[in-house]
Amino acid sequence: MNAPSDTPPPLQAAGPALSPGRTLRRLFLTLFLRGRSSRGLRKESAPKSVGSKLALALVFYALFGMFALFFLQQPVFALSVYLHAMTLVFLGMFVAASAGEVLFNKDEADILMHRPVTPRALLWAKIGVLTEVSLWLAGAFNLTGFFVGIGGKDGGWLFPITHAISTIMEALFCTGTVVLVYQLCLRWFGRERLDGLMTTAQVFVAVAAVVAGQVVPRLLIRISGTIKFNAGSWWIGLLPPAWFAGFDDAFAGRGIRSSWELAGFGLAATAVVLWLAFGKLARDYETGLQTLNEASAIRSQRRAGRRWVDVLVHVPPLRWWLRDPVVRASFLLTAAYLVRDRDVKLRIYPGLAPMLVMPFIFLMQDHGRSDGGGFGVAFTGGYLGLIPLLALNLLKYSQQWQASDMFRAAPMPGPAPLCHGARQAVCWFLTFPLLVLFGLMVWLLRGENLHLPLLLPGIIALPIYALIPCLGGKAVPLSLPNEEAKSAARGLSMIGVMLVSIALSGLALWAWSGGWFKWLLLVETVLVIAFYVGMRLSLAAARWRPLE
Amino acid sequence: MISLQHLTKRFGAQTAVDSLSFEVPAGQIVGFLGPNGAGKSTTLKMLTGMIEPSQGTATICGFDLRREPLEVKRRVGFVPESGAVFESLTGLEYLEMVAALYAIPQDAARARIQQFIAFFDLSFETLTDKLLGAYSKGMRRKVVITAALLHNPPVVFFDEPLDGLDANAAVGFKALIQTLAREGKTIVYSSHILDVVERVCDRVIIIDKGKLLLDGRPDELVAAHGTGTLERLFTKLTGGSELERRAEDFAKTFRP
Repeated sequence: MNAPSDTPPPLQAAGPALSPGRTLRRLFLTLFLRGRSSRGLRKESAPKSVGSKLALALVFYALFGMFALFFLQQPVFALSVYLHAMTLVFLGMFVAASAGEVLFNKDEADILMHRPVTPRALLWAKIGVLTEVSLWLAGAFNLTGFFVGIGGKDGGWLFPITHAISTIMEALFCTGTVVLVYQLCLRWFGRERLDGLMTTAQVFVAVAAVVAGQVVPRLLIRISGTIKFNAGSWWIGLLPPAWFAGFDDAFAGRGIRSSWELAGFGLAATAVVLWLAFGKLARDYETGLQTLNEASAIRSQRRAGRRWVDVLVHVPPLRWWLRDPVVRASFLLTAAYLVRDRDVKLRIYPGLAPMLVMPFIFLMQDHGRSDGGGFGVAFTGGYLGLIPLLALNLLKYSQQWQASDMFRAAPMPGPAPLCHGARQAVCWFLTFPLLVLFGLMVWLLRGENLHLPLLLPGIIALPIYALIPCLGGKAVPLSLPNEEAKSAARGLSMIGVMLVSIALSGLALWAWSGGWFKWLLLVETVLVIAFYVGMRLSLAAARWRPLE
Repeated sequence: MISLQHLTKRFGAQTAVDSLSFEVPAGQIVGFLGPNGAGKSTTLKMLTGMIEPSQGTATICGFDLRREPLEVKRRVGFVPESGAVFESLTGLEYLEMVAALYAIPQDAARARIQQFIAFFDLSFETLTDKLLGAYSKGMRRKVVITAALLHNPPVVFFDEPLDGLDANAAVGFKALIQTLAREGKTIVYSSHILDVVERVCDRVIIIDKGKLLLDGRPDELVAAHGTGTLERLFTKLTGGSELERRAEDFAKTFRP
């Protein structure tokens, strides 16, 4: 302990105390932007990936929002339905993915629950942050739309103002709905089941958002030739984006009766959701926070049983495949996290959802072509390579990354067996099931199996794709903090794989039509084996990289 | 200062704390002991308003835990066993955030933090520049202790406070809580390091399976049971008398 004479230089004087409400809002915003945990040594060099990602996201959203230019000279209602539908999808995905961590964080209970703040104040502060960030995202996406609406067929200078108000309403509706779902789940199922339930719900929301945004419009166009939005249609009242579009149309568009009705419905729905989520059911949040402290006690009462995956690794073919005990242990660890860990599941499955959509789109375009098509099938096969690549890249990150120190403490010269275990878990639990799904998709969408062999070039290349993220021993599962996830690098590798897939598909189709497809498969197999052996040798030689 | 009246906590069919009743006057340091799973942390979490009792209640500084939880929280400081902090804040940001929650003006908070920096031998630059995620366990524990005492609470609960502290910091900390108690603060000290408890505490309360086993001055209890040390008394009461023999037997299994 220091003597008083060693007192450090005085800290700069500051103003009066912030109110607890403002303090909490500032705290949660800081935590949101910086991430919950950090291993950065200094404040300046701390990983600000979430914050920088947010800035990048805003730019990306603003660029994406420029698609609104296609609605130039269109009616306000059509533009607004588009803007609100896309905003709802984006915000829904964002709030659903963030709400669990923001609303219920176990560490936070130990830090804040014994302080003189009410659970309601905590809830309000968190909702404030979620809404604030939602509004940034919504604002960025709608930026172009604000101006497009001015020049709309029935638009005018009032559009930016009414659209800003309706977007705020929509953000509140969206945040309120997600919080309400959490609270209802808490009330009906309890905190213990909430995690699993919400993870599943969030994965479905992400998949549904992609399907709704990419697949449904294509199906509708295929069925009816075009999609017509009309405020007077009976079914449009069932779609929340139409309520908020009705608001825009009522104040800044045609102002017809059905628009006013939709606007009224939107206002009422938002008010009811906010009242239920932040008023009526706020008490459930308090209960949820309290139960968070009790979770460990409850969990201990669960019946202990042998996991199915433990059984699986001891019977063929996995027993033959996982002979090395370290590979087997890494396989089991990865499998457990793929099935159980909320954080990992929320990163992997919504990340893979768009993967399912791209081959579907290509197959749809392939369908009914006079030349018999086939590119979509070949592309689907090649595109499979993205699954292990993306999954292994995402599996490196975990909230429990510090526990991976035990890998370094174990008597292993390098991380190769850990990478192999993770790679094989990803192959068995993600790649193979999706391979079957893609095969079924090809068969169902084309109604014939003549072109199924076109999947083979992609399938043969799979072992190479799965080894790429492991090179240099970089795919050690759960060994890096979430904040270090580099989405830009991931995006580049995805683009790379997509280009290779397109090239491979083109080559496969050429070989197919030229009658030398078998030779292509033979040459590819030889090349893959050679590369595979080389990459495995390189991975075996990889040593632990020094810790920071 | 602290009064528990049949405080009970049930998790489903399991009773973690079973009708616990005792009183702690001002200025006393109470060692709150029990084996793993005895209900110590659950009791402390109830007394700090983190979880709600299933039955019974407690008053702290005259405020009822169930009826006036915020008044209770304003008067207690708590060092949880987990030592959890927001890792992406700097030490200073974290402590200022805590101070604001107790409505301590920023000037006063910074002056108080300054005193703790000096006492705990923390580097000023570390506190202002480094994120808590990069702190050593001991440094993090010092920040957590500072956060518990920042608002000068009359009642302080410590759950394994020495975990991670080096020998010098531990000595200083023990002297600090003894001085705080002499100045009228009530201190509840939960720990498994029984020789420290024996030296520091005026009184010990031992619980097991959520029930009160023993309550009294450490020297008197040790003398009355003829065990020589508090550690032996603890193992005798909580079924650990066979531990040494079991440890020897187990150690033999490591022979090559």
